[in-house]
Amino acid sequence: MQPGSLRRLNARLVTVGVLLVVCWIAIGYRLVVVQALEADVYADQGRNQRLQRETLAADRGKIFDRDGRELAVTIDSVTVYANPREIEDPTTVARLLAPLLRMNMLDVLDALTTDGTFAYVARQIESAEADRVREARLPGIYFLTEPKRVYPMGDLAGQVIGFVRADDNVGLEGLEFQYEETLAGTPGELLVERDPYGRTIPQGEYEVVPAEPGSDLVLTIKTEIQFAAAEALERAIERTGAAGGSIVVVDPATGEILAMVNAPTFDPNDRSGADPVLFRNRAVTDAFEPGSTMKLVTISAALEAGIATPDTLYEIPRQLERGDTTFTDATNHPSELTVTGIVAHSSNLGTIMLGEELGARELHRVLYAFGLGQSTGLDFPGETAGLLRTPDDWCETTCIASTSIGYRVSVTTLQMAMVFATVANDGVWVQPHLVREIVDGRGARVPVDPLQRRVVDVGTARSMRAMLEEVVSGGTGAFAAVDGYRVGGKTGTTEKYLYDEQAYSEDDVVASFIGMAPIDDPRVVVAVVLDSPQRDASGGKGAAPVFSEVALAALHQLGVPPDGE
Amino acid sequence: MATRTAAVPAAANAVRRRLEVPDRRPARMIVLLLIPVALLAVIGLGAILSASSVLAIREGVGNLYYFKRQAVWMGVGLVALVAASATPPRVLRRLAFPMFVGSVVLLVATLVIGTRAYGATRWLVAGPVTIQASEVAKLTTILFLATLVSRKETSMHRLRDFMWPVAVSVGLVGVLVVLQPDLGTALMVAFGSFAILLASAAPFRYILGGAMFGTGAAVVTALASPYRWARVTAFLDAGSDPLGGGYQVVQSLVALGTGGLWGVGLGASRARWSFLPNAHTDFIFSIIGEETGLAGSLMVVLLFVALTVAGTLIAFRARDRFGRLAAIGITTWLVAQALVNIGGVTGVLPITGVPLPFVSIGGSALLTEMAAVGILISIARDSAAGGRP
Repeated sequence: MQPGSLRRLNARLVTVGVLLVVCWIAIGYRLVVVQALEADVYADQGRNQRLQRETLAADRGKIFDRDGRELAVTIDSVTVYANPREIEDPTTVARLLAPLLRMNMLDVLDALTTDGTFAYVARQIESAEADRVREARLPGIYFLTEPKRVYPMGDLAGQVIGFVRADDNVGLEGLEFQYEETLAGTPGELLVERDPYGRTIPQGEYEVVPAEPGSDLVLTIKTEIQFAAAEALERAIERTGAAGGSIVVVDPATGEILAMVNAPTFDPNDRSGADPVLFRNRAVTDAFEPGSTMKLVTISAALEAGIATPDTLYEIPRQLERGDTTFTDATNHPSELTVTGIVAHSSNLGTIMLGEELGARELHRVLYAFGLGQSTGLDFPGETAGLLRTPDDWCETTCIASTSIGYRVSVTTLQMAMVFATVANDGVWVQPHLVREIVDGRGARVPVDPLQRRVVDVGTARSMRAMLEEVVSGGTGAFAAVDGYRVGGKTGTTEKYLYDEQAYSEDDVVASFIGMAPIDDPRVVVAVVLDSPQRDASGGKGAAPVFSEVALAALHQLGVPPDGE
Repeated sequence: MATRTAAVPAAANAVRRRLEVPDRRPARMIVLLLIPVALLAVIGLGAILSASSVLAIREGVGNLYYFKRQAVWMGVGLVALVAASATPPRVLRRLAFPMFVGSVVLLVATLVIGTRAYGATRWLVAGPVTIQASEVAKLTTILFLATLVSRKETSMHRLRDFMWPVAVSVGLVGVLVVLQPDLGTALMVAFGSFAILLASAAPFRYILGGAMFGTGAAVVTALASPYRWARVTAFLDAGSDPLGGGYQVVQSLVALGTGGLWGVGLGASRARWSFLPNAHTDFIFSIIGEETGLAGSLMVVLLFVALTVAGTLIAFRARDRFGRLAAIGITTWLVAQALVNIGGVTGVLPITGVPLPFVSIGGSALLTEMAAVGILISIARDSAAGGRP
């Protein structure tokens, strides 16, 4: 080869090397673009595909009775789920799994054959049951722990406590609903980098805002009294054949509800077959016409207005004609009655005379002052205000008469209990409440401070109590007597108003008795209402004995010393 | 003619010989070659440890599994490197033909009894080791072509003398590897051969014709298989379908961008957490770029530039035509493979599935590459033997 040719060959060789180096320069530039100039775009894209924001569920607060007994707690339950993609033979797996879960095999098969990678098979089952499934080691079947709300007292206070939605433990009814925000706490947040399989990348960003646990509720309910009331109500329904009933036990001095019972009831742990009507806390949500128990208000108003004293004597006619209605008395009594006698014998006519003497406006004022026609402000959802028409809407003929004796006005069992509690508390109405204290996650206790207002004079209240004692000792409420204690109260028997038919029932009544004990310094007020009793269908026969039972139990539980024979 | 192939100016050599100064240039070339190779291999081991540990744990083989395997292969490769560097070029030239025949046999055997994986038949299983014949064939083909061209260089202006060596070496091997199919290897063999022809006395028109023929063949092959065509279209518009064909490239760019200037730190790659498939094989460079940033990735580029310069210098100073052609062929193959790999990883070239030399996991590849480095050393040493040939 010639020297020129060698130079040419060398040039060709160097060209190869230079070409390669030029390519490297291009690659280097590209790297500068990707890793410096446009790096943020790609880095953000990466962060977005890795960073996951997850909610950390807060522990839901517990609900205790006033003595610290658990009424609602959250436990860890096991949920069984399937990854259908990992199950090659769903039929066999379903056949093996169904008996372990005591489920229908076809339901299990449905879950195992859904699209996607996640399907619930059985939610919130007991751990013993889950262990049996675990031991079976079925492919594609997995477990996760889910919080489950349980109610250790079962149906005892189901309507008061309410319940939560199984999916997410959000309160749906009762106190669980009312105090949702307090109980729920604040969910935390987890910011974490995860790979496509959901594994945490240890070197990745990690940020935790821990969940704030919910606050606990300490109720005013005393489980023993609640239990006694529930038992007594159950027996009363059996005895009278009533369709249902409610009992409210309240501490008149504090407004604390010691027991609140409705029958029939339901178990919040298993409400699968329960009629949603049963979820209602009817002592608070349902109104009825109270009848004679309302005479307490009319007579109090008369005493307060100074138009009568307990000893004022009235000549009671045999009947009163108002419009086309004829009012009569249901009881036999002397033709002359003192005001005390009017109460003791539950004289409609005597009460009407006093009511009419007061006039519509004054009667309305006192009714309203006692808390009727307005919600009590109880810390409970769905409370009804009842019905109390303004005086402008009162007719000239029957209205004052009807209202005086507890018709044409509707109330809740709680409202009536609070009317009697006002008298028991020397004329001061204290707002009723179910939650005594809220205990936050750090143990700080916030006691509930209820509203109070004076309704009638101390003197009026004491006079009324004396009359109420007379009802039991020598009037319509004899069956309400409690051994060892001096008690007072008032019976009520009304024809049941049928809202559907816009008329009073000819067969069914609402029988009630509301009383207090001990009469000189009442510690409990017990309101008993029976819906449509078929036997002993009056306040005196149907409801008064229930009062006796419940009051005695409550007094014992509260350690109230006897004050009578 | 052979006496004039040495590129060093004759006068300088004469001075050296007279002063009895030993010629240090071969040693410097060898150092310039070995430093990048050693560093790349070490970087590769580290990157494999990081990139494969998540995968290895998921596969339940222990997080060091892939790292250990590569380390063992590196030991074997070192032996091959030393052995090759101790073998004089004239012996290598004589061995070129039997080695070529041997690798063709391996390629045929692969097609017949090879193991299929990921839609390709690429591996021969022999006991505990799997051999990727196409990796071996890259080196033997280039060596064989270098012997053929060096022998026929003066007559290469005749089409027949140009055609048949190219057809025998590149053509035969190309067909055998494309049948696997392994277009990437065919491409690397083509690049090496192209460099050999370019550095030889072969007329440009033939080289150009051959290049056009090769390009045409590559396009036809790409069109013939849907997966390869999908790669090409994905390359042309990577962002359009980040979860489809362009997924790997998008994830690779995400990894590089996440690395930024200085990287997320060793062992802190996010991409290896199943975002980037083949993180320890074809996409190892993305992991390096993510963990060590632009600083680290440019360092790798610089090492390959050093390798390019060292290889070209060795070719330039080779004592004979065989050494010169073999050196430039080997250098171009190694460097082009690195360029194609990194080009693919950075989204400027389509993904061809070639590993990054010395860095990506792969025993056969590493062994072959280290043997090739040994041959470059042998050629460099030969240039010094006796000063002028």
